Amino acid sequence: MPTLMKPTNTKQKNDRHPLAGATMTGADMIVQVLADEGVDTLFGYSGGAILPTYDAVFRYNEGRSVKDEMRLVVPATEQGAGFMAAGYARSSGRVGVFLVTSGPGATNAVTPIRDCQADSVPVVLICGQVPRAAMGTDAFQEAPIFNIMSPCAKHVFLLTDETKIEETMRSAFDIARSGRPGPVVIDVPKDVQNFEGIFKGEGLLPLPGYSERVLNVGRSRLSKDETKAFYDLLTQSKRPLIYAGGGVINGDAGPALTRFAKRFQIPVVTTLMGIGCFDTTDELSLQMLGMHGAAFANYAVEDCDFLFAVGSRFDDRVAGKVKEFAPNAKLAHLDIDASEIGKVMNVDWSHVADAKRGLTQLLKGGEGVKADFSTWVKHVVELKANHALNYNRESSAVQAEHVLATLNEIAGGEAFVATGVGQHQMWAAQYLDFKKPRLFMTSGSMGTMGFGLPAAIGAQLANPGALVIDVDGDGSIRMNLGELETLTTYDVPVKVLLLNNMGDGMVRQWQDLFYANRYSGTDKTLHKKDFIKAVEADGFGFAVRVTKNSEVRKALEDFVAFDGPAFLEVMVDPTAHVYPMVGPGLGYKDMITGAHIASRDAEEVDDSEPGATEYF
Amino acid sequence: MRHTISVLVENQFGVLARIAGLFSGRGFNIESLTVAETMDSKVSRLTLVTRGDDQVLDQITQQLNKLINVIRVTDFNKATHVERELALIKVRADRDNRGEVSKIIEIFRGRIIDVSPESFLIEVTGTKDKIGALLELLKPLGIQEIARTGTVAMHRGMQLLTTARDEKEKVA
Repeated sequence: MPTLMKPTNTKQKNDRHPLAGATMTGADMIVQVLADEGVDTLFGYSGGAILPTYDAVFRYNEGRSVKDEMRLVVPATEQGAGFMAAGYARSSGRVGVFLVTSGPGATNAVTPIRDCQADSVPVVLICGQVPRAAMGTDAFQEAPIFNIMSPCAKHVFLLTDETKIEETMRSAFDIARSGRPGPVVIDVPKDVQNFEGIFKGEGLLPLPGYSERVLNVGRSRLSKDETKAFYDLLTQSKRPLIYAGGGVINGDAGPALTRFAKRFQIPVVTTLMGIGCFDTTDELSLQMLGMHGAAFANYAVEDCDFLFAVGSRFDDRVAGKVKEFAPNAKLAHLDIDASEIGKVMNVDWSHVADAKRGLTQLLKGGEGVKADFSTWVKHVVELKANHALNYNRESSAVQAEHVLATLNEIAGGEAFVATGVGQHQMWAAQYLDFKKPRLFMTSGSMGTMGFGLPAAIGAQLANPGALVIDVDGDGSIRMNLGELETLTTYDVPVKVLLLNNMGDGMVRQWQDLFYANRYSGTDKTLHKKDFIKAVEADGFGFAVRVTKNSEVRKALEDFVAFDGPAFLEVMVDPTAHVYPMVGPGLGYKDMITGAHIASRDAEEVDDSEPGATEYF
Repeated sequence: MRHTISVLVENQFGVLARIAGLFSGRGFNIESLTVAETMDSKVSRLTLVTRGDDQVLDQITQQLNKLINVIRVTDFNKATHVERELALIKVRADRDNRGEVSKIIEIFRGRIIDVSPESFLIEVTGTKDKIGALLELLKPLGIQEIARTGTVAMHRGMQLLTTARDEKEKVA
């Protein structure tokens, strides 16, 4: 059995792989390609059908120093492994890898795979499968993973051809990170892992259609006519606005977007997924738009006469009522995915390219263009001042917004933050600043509760030394509560901030608004769990509960400064609602700003109910 | 509206299910489906006919174009093209009606490919409408069994699927 090798930096591209020609098992080939891809951390849970590959990881690590080994992080459940891989990928831009067994191991991984697909996150999942001869017989721990995962992932391989192990592995990484990124699943029968053969050290699957499309988009060029058409729209407008999404972060286009916005002095709103692609503390930043976007951001969308969508997709949390979205604006759309152009809204100008390439070419093509939007910028700066985010500052109950605003002063927009899903997620998006891309990680499209804790662990492992905070809710954190122990087991110094409102706050908010306060299934006041005792049992050295406003700042300072895993629970007002709110299926003109944010519509009635709708 | 869509795909397991899934996931029925190898045995050509909202189908076509194993997609509704399908029809043909059946088949340029004392097995190609019309005429004479291939389609003139590009792909 040959010793698997770590790739060396001196290796030239045309050099033969040092292990080429060696005989090894399928499992060894899998691990060797992982090493060649630079994978330093694997998240996963072992089991019968994946044993050979786990054994290959063990043998790979045997005799290696800690810094050279492929670290194996074992979660409480496979879903945790998936979100750790996702947090690793989102925070670093590198492909996250997780490794699970067949049957229940693989079905537990469906949720993170779908989540990564919905948010365009590059991960590779390797699943064990029962031996080829047993497939389709309802064998022990068998599930039809190829079929289950197919519509949930960017691509799925069922590795039945033992001569294609290396090629499939390499192609999986290529597919995950190329074009619009996404999750790739490789289902590997146990007997294929045990197969012995010659390692080639090179080769990819041909994928003729996909490769050509990726290549074409990668080579896309803005013609002179297209560039002129864009700048005609821009210079004819008086109130342009950039609407930037996750595609800017995925395309590493934050700096290009910033140059573009500064060059022409165009204000920027971002989607939930786009947060951090443009420094939220910049004067031109109007923060997040949409259902719970800042009032000033949504007003700017109402007021703008030219909206430039970059790596964003007009989804229903942004354009809840398509007909009324940006009603006065001409639209331009730059996206890497041709199928997003015109999917929701017809646009006046479009270009298919990755955001960095598209913006760079636009900047170059617009070198001589003169435009002055200072009146408009003055207007949006006033909007920011007059309709700033605000909350109930009189209540004796601790407001989650107050906790996050205070945390923001301490963290200063430099920390990595992962969240669960619900009210705390929206408040984190509203009240925390992010000066760089990839700092904010949240389950945007799928809205998977339980995302935050494992994602924060993955992000911390990808960014040792950085401050990583999981802002979580009591409902969300319960979903993957077992990972608290994972955190202390591996001594991952994540800071877990639990905003406990004793219930599913966002659902309760909708029940207040649309279901006459009938809290069906969302009240947790009778739950017995003492989170502090629980995390102490898990080995947290910092476990503090705060119930008063006066304790918040000191507790947060100690919490952030603590050397090691830390847990801070703040009991927050269970009756609070997230505002602003654009009701589902409504236009921005129907935005409710609540009792504490100034609305510019004089006639607005504070507690007017948007009315129930089927389109949630 | 009725759409005829052809897709060149890598000839591998799972591709068909993934394509069908894009339609079933939206509640669209596939009326007919034909798949076979092309000149290149690594590539298959799949033709399907479905009905639905034009905009939704346009979106599905775009998404077909994103599947890793898909090489090329075309919706023939955007171009002049020819459609054909083949049907095998087993019809009652005894001493009494044999002449009548033969005449009808001749009119439709069908061929009798198997004969028994009580039946003809007929092969006929044409558009869906033509085959439908033939079936209407044969029905009173006693159709025993039919097998239809589903539609295949091709552009007229020199436009090829291998070079056909969707409008939006041109932009790319």
